[in-house]
Amino acid sequence: MREQSKYLEGVDKKDLFASGHRACGGCGQALAARLVADAAGENTIACVATGCLEVFSSPYPDPSWRIPFLHSLFENAAAVASGVDAAYKALKKGPVNIIAQGGDGSTADIGFQSISGMLERGHNVLYICYDNEAYMNTGVQRSSFTPYGARTTTTPTGNTTRKKNMPMLAADHGIPYVATATVDDFRDLQVKIRKALTIEGPKYVHILAPCPLGWGHHGELTVEICRLAKDTGLFPVYEIIDGKVTNVRKIPVKVPVEEYLKPQGRFKHLFKKGVPSKEVDEIQEIANQNIERFNL
Amino acid sequence: MDKLPLGLALDLRKVVPYETGSWRTLMPVNIMQTPPCNHACPAGNDIRGFLRVLAEKKDYEEAWHVLSRTNPLPATCGRVCPHPCEDGCNRRDFDSPVAINSAERAVGDYGLEENLEHKKLIAHRKEKVAVIGSGPAGLSCAFHLAKRGFQVKIFEAYGEPGGMMRYGIPSYRLPNYVLRQELENIWKLGIDLECNIKVGVNIPMDQLIQAYDSIFVGIGAQTGLTIDIPGQDAGNVFSGVEFLREVNSGKYVDVGKDVVVIGGGNTAMDCARVAKRLGANVSVVYRRTRVEMPAITAEIDEAMEERVMFRYHTNPVKIIQDDDKVVGILSVQMELKEPDASGRARPVPIPGSESVIPADTVILATGQAVDYDGIEVHKRDNKWIAADENLMTSIDRVFAGGDAVLGLETVSAAIGQGTRAASAIEDYIDGGVESRLSSPPVIHSKDLNTYYYNKKRRFQKEALPIHMRLKHFKELYPALDPEAIIDESERCFSCGLCYNCGNCYMYCPDNAVKISPKTGLYEFDLDFCKGCGLCAKECPCRYIQMTLEK
Repeated sequence: MREQSKYLEGVDKKDLFASGHRACGGCGQALAARLVADAAGENTIACVATGCLEVFSSPYPDPSWRIPFLHSLFENAAAVASGVDAAYKALKKGPVNIIAQGGDGSTADIGFQSISGMLERGHNVLYICYDNEAYMNTGVQRSSFTPYGARTTTTPTGNTTRKKNMPMLAADHGIPYVATATVDDFRDLQVKIRKALTIEGPKYVHILAPCPLGWGHHGELTVEICRLAKDTGLFPVYEIIDGKVTNVRKIPVKVPVEEYLKPQGRFKHLFKKGVPSKEVDEIQEIANQNIERFNL
Repeated sequence: MDKLPLGLALDLRKVVPYETGSWRTLMPVNIMQTPPCNHACPAGNDIRGFLRVLAEKKDYEEAWHVLSRTNPLPATCGRVCPHPCEDGCNRRDFDSPVAINSAERAVGDYGLEENLEHKKLIAHRKEKVAVIGSGPAGLSCAFHLAKRGFQVKIFEAYGEPGGMMRYGIPSYRLPNYVLRQELENIWKLGIDLECNIKVGVNIPMDQLIQAYDSIFVGIGAQTGLTIDIPGQDAGNVFSGVEFLREVNSGKYVDVGKDVVVIGGGNTAMDCARVAKRLGANVSVVYRRTRVEMPAITAEIDEAMEERVMFRYHTNPVKIIQDDDKVVGILSVQMELKEPDASGRARPVPIPGSESVIPADTVILATGQAVDYDGIEVHKRDNKWIAADENLMTSIDRVFAGGDAVLGLETVSAAIGQGTRAASAIEDYIDGGVESRLSSPPVIHSKDLNTYYYNKKRRFQKEALPIHMRLKHFKELYPALDPEAIIDESERCFSCGLCYNCGNCYMYCPDNAVKISPKTGLYEFDLDFCKGCGLCAKECPCRYIQMTLEK
């Protein structure tokens, strides 16, 4: 019998988010949800907004969640989680990990008000945003997280606005902990979740979770795409503790944005006959600004 | 039946999860592939196998047993092998190849120190096999047959066993005690050895053919070939093999002050470096340039470090003698013209460029040939023994291998031939059973996902400083640090075999990679696997591959 791999020391795998869910093959969000649930452990209540995650993981009678699970509307996962926190305080029960989870649409657009309220009131809740950069569940419509140049069904010639910087907005509520992570570095992701859960007060973790269907790449590339997003500088990975940006992940070898864009169908229109259009320069500029801003 | 809570119609604990495996079009499978090091090893060693044992278990004993499954002489090969495995190593394209040769030596040395013994596979069989020659080919054949229970007897023409390893390799490269100990370990398998018997001279070949079920001929290439120049029968003119044999037998050879070695092969390098250690000024005379020299690059480098002079584009014309003694060589400068049949540039003499090189001893290391005295077999190119793909010669029941068949090759190539011959002999005696399996495809560096490997400096073995080398025949490379070798083994990519990194287990979005309760290895739960291919893409060593559904 082989021992537990030495490469997996300090990594949790408890399968609290079990097989049998209806996510597409190679789904980044399903992977992220499992990594989060395993890191949080059994003593956790998951409040999930409407979206892909809720749809593919919770159909009666065989949900994938092996922890208590509360489904709410598209916009109010944070409000429901606040209520759970208030209930626990009122009943003098706990401690318990309360995790509110939502996609980028429910976080940045529809549910922004309830999240802002939750952060401002100081509930002891960890809010996790699974960022797949569009409304994937309803058929790939643009959200305020959709990056510049990306094609969605509502921006057929490419998105003309830049992505909303939600981690900074969350940090400006004066909350104790904000972090970004991607699914390719599972150790980093789980460390951040565990760290967040030890902190009292509202926390926000932003996870980049590629969507093979909406982004138009093969399911096998989910991890590779995340890696490229980090190494191009388009998705900076950092923590904000008490308002200060720390633990920034340095880029080992800088990669031009073309390598990130080319495998994805949503950026295909930027390369006519293989020649990059001027939007690609704009995206490279965004990456360069990130690199400069966070000293990647 | 337990009462269900209010509002629930089904007991959730009894619900069977929805099996998403039916969505799949491609299926992940674990495929063990051949790593390039194993593929390149002429002796057929399981290099990845022993490096992984070192890296994962830090267990030298088990590593020795993995290595000695195929190789009876790991400590010897770890010293003398030109390691084609390292040329194949996929790490070459990443940083630098794993120091496999050093690891092999460390494992071999551990086996000698701890007196580890080879394991017999079959206790006893009644069939008898004779092996002619106790060089690497003969030893390897005898070793594998003895392990399978055959009654093996080795006939050796010289006073001590080991063939070229004993008489051809100088002791600064392979100390005598290492070879002796490894040989003693092999005799423990129950092999009979008879020295000073030259088959074909002291005992006729026919007698052996009648008395034994099968015969292996591993007589090597023990005769030095001379070139056609006048004066070569003078005293103090040696052939390369002859010179090395004299020195290795412990005889005192008075080489005088100036030694000229003619030739550019490995024997020439050995002769030059031995003569240097005997206190002479040595120059190597070679017709072409360094690029065309057939010797191993490292050997040429080391010879240069030891201040052996190299005279390129130089060809001997005549050995000049005074009475019966050599006093010099008349040589002529050459220029290189279009390549000949061997693909090397053809040297042509420049008229009027003759000069004399002073010499007290001349060593002609210009090729070797098989000594066929009393052994009559069909020949290839009129030089080497002709053998079919099973290594059988023109005589029924008589097999052959090693230098005598291959031409001049390495110890590991000879060991590989001995191994092949042993299984061919076993097949032959058992009535033509074809037991050899075809090996899986070789894995190349472009197939690997090297993101998960870290750059790490290669282990560098340290040679004795030059001023300490030339006064004696002490080993050039002192003993290696076992801890450093374990560090080095961790550099192995484990191409084509799971090394338990856990990527598939962690990355599967469907939790369809499980740890098997029986074996503890990762296995796929095909009831849930959606076939996305993420595990195969992120498998560093390409052990996982996607295939069509069965």
